[in-house]
Amino acid sequence: MNVFFSIFDAIQKAGPTVILPIIITIFGLVFRLNLAKAFRSGLIVGIGFAGINLVINLLKGSLGDASQAMVKNWGISLDIIDVGWGAIAAVTWASPIIPILIFVIFAVNIILLIINKTNTLDVDIWNYHHMAIVGVMVYFVTHNLILAVLSTIIMALVALKFSDWTAPYVEKFFGLPGVSLPTMSALSSIVIAAPLNALIDRIPGLNKIDFSLKDAKKTLGFFGEPMMIGLILGGVIGFLAEYSISDIMRIAVEMAAVLVLIPKMTALFVEGLMPISEAAKKFAQEKFKGKKLFIGLDAAVIVGHSAVITTALIVIPLTILLAAVLPGNRVLPFADLAVVTFRVAMIVAIARGNLFRSILIGLIQMSAILYAGTLTSPVLTKLAGSVGLDVANSGLITSFAATSLTVSFLVFEAFIHKPYLWVPALLIVFFGTWVYVEKKKKVKPAIE
Amino acid sequence: MKKVLVACGNGVATSTVVGRKIQEACEEAGIAVNISQCKLMEVESKADNFDLVVSTGKFEGNIKVPIVNGISILTGIGSDDTIQKIINYLK
Repeated sequence: MNVFFSIFDAIQKAGPTVILPIIITIFGLVFRLNLAKAFRSGLIVGIGFAGINLVINLLKGSLGDASQAMVKNWGISLDIIDVGWGAIAAVTWASPIIPILIFVIFAVNIILLIINKTNTLDVDIWNYHHMAIVGVMVYFVTHNLILAVLSTIIMALVALKFSDWTAPYVEKFFGLPGVSLPTMSALSSIVIAAPLNALIDRIPGLNKIDFSLKDAKKTLGFFGEPMMIGLILGGVIGFLAEYSISDIMRIAVEMAAVLVLIPKMTALFVEGLMPISEAAKKFAQEKFKGKKLFIGLDAAVIVGHSAVITTALIVIPLTILLAAVLPGNRVLPFADLAVVTFRVAMIVAIARGNLFRSILIGLIQMSAILYAGTLTSPVLTKLAGSVGLDVANSGLITSFAATSLTVSFLVFEAFIHKPYLWVPALLIVFFGTWVYVEKKKKVKPAIE
Repeated sequence: MKKVLVACGNGVATSTVVGRKIQEACEEAGIAVNISQCKLMEVESKADNFDLVVSTGKFEGNIKVPIVNGISILTGIGSDDTIQKIINYLK
């Protein structure tokens, strides 16, 4: 027994670059990969974490000091750095309870399919991090595994149902039949977009407004390239920090580097987890042979739509402006400006391509993300430090993912403040919406 | 050496999956291939340096390089046909 504990202790002390390969290898074995393949997967994921840690160090070192100097010089208190969804996903995967949460999400999906309550088969294991992070954070705050599992189950239910409900948009608006998108980073926006769009429909005058921008890509196109965002933002922040010319140029290039390097490191996670996703897909497709299913895909497949890109290109610079002027916001938008397309994609679909509405609702959504990010960043920062992401010495971190997303924020908050009261309230609203939406859907074809 | 650019929404997730599959298929077919990934928004500025672009979503821009939609590689439905199409371009 002692030997077991000292091995366990040694692994724990070695940190996430060692824990991750072990966890993922075990995962792979459970999904019946052979040992060599499973271990290779695990090692790649460990390497991904090491890579993310390196880039985050560069980001925190460079931008952290500059943003604090900016606060001192100009009183612009944007001291919570947006380190991007990739780093937060890495933190999620490095959590000690992640194996349990991943199986819970998989089980929720399989059970719902068996009892015919969803049409979505989501075996994109990598993207489970969007659902699992809420459980990881609830566990970090409450140390209660049951609450952590329950919150993850609710996240999975919401993701699968929202995915079912938005499948018609994915087919008609984006032209992708047979798939649905259980990616919370995109789906979360519909809790703001659907009611707001319905409201705008009923406001005379406002409901008629629309405009189109053909040249947005030409004039704002550089906001679509992460390296340009990094370069410009880095330069501006260096300037506001009153750095010397050479330091301004250095921070500009370093920030461009960060925005190009983070996705490359994150891609290693996806590569490592791919064989496991494949195995899960094989298992599920054999089990549900002949059943008509939506294959759950990453929302990455819809964000190339031109209306989505146009909306994002306008929302990105305005989000930076919002961050500066919104009272109480402390988030400095940075790495996740590169994925604003995901946050606005469903908004654009619900607004049926109406650019005025897409931008208006998009900005309201981004404000909600900034505030939720501000509120939950202390917990997120401590969590990141606890699993070995090197963020300890300077300031707070956040992203536009995790509990900055409206749905994830609501579920997280419900579970950490009086869960006996708020969780039932949340469930009533969710199941109420479920009954309402599916009733409406059944009526519709009869009218058409 | 043929150069392929695989594009998706964030240049991370689905492009990694599709890129790996193309890599494996090309190895089997004996085609030397170099795969890069990017975001869909970057395709127009990068495409000229490549022999083929594969996107996992709808791409609506204008490029001179041939482009293949790789979404079937993700869903698994019609995946073999798409892979074959890609290989035909690279032969």
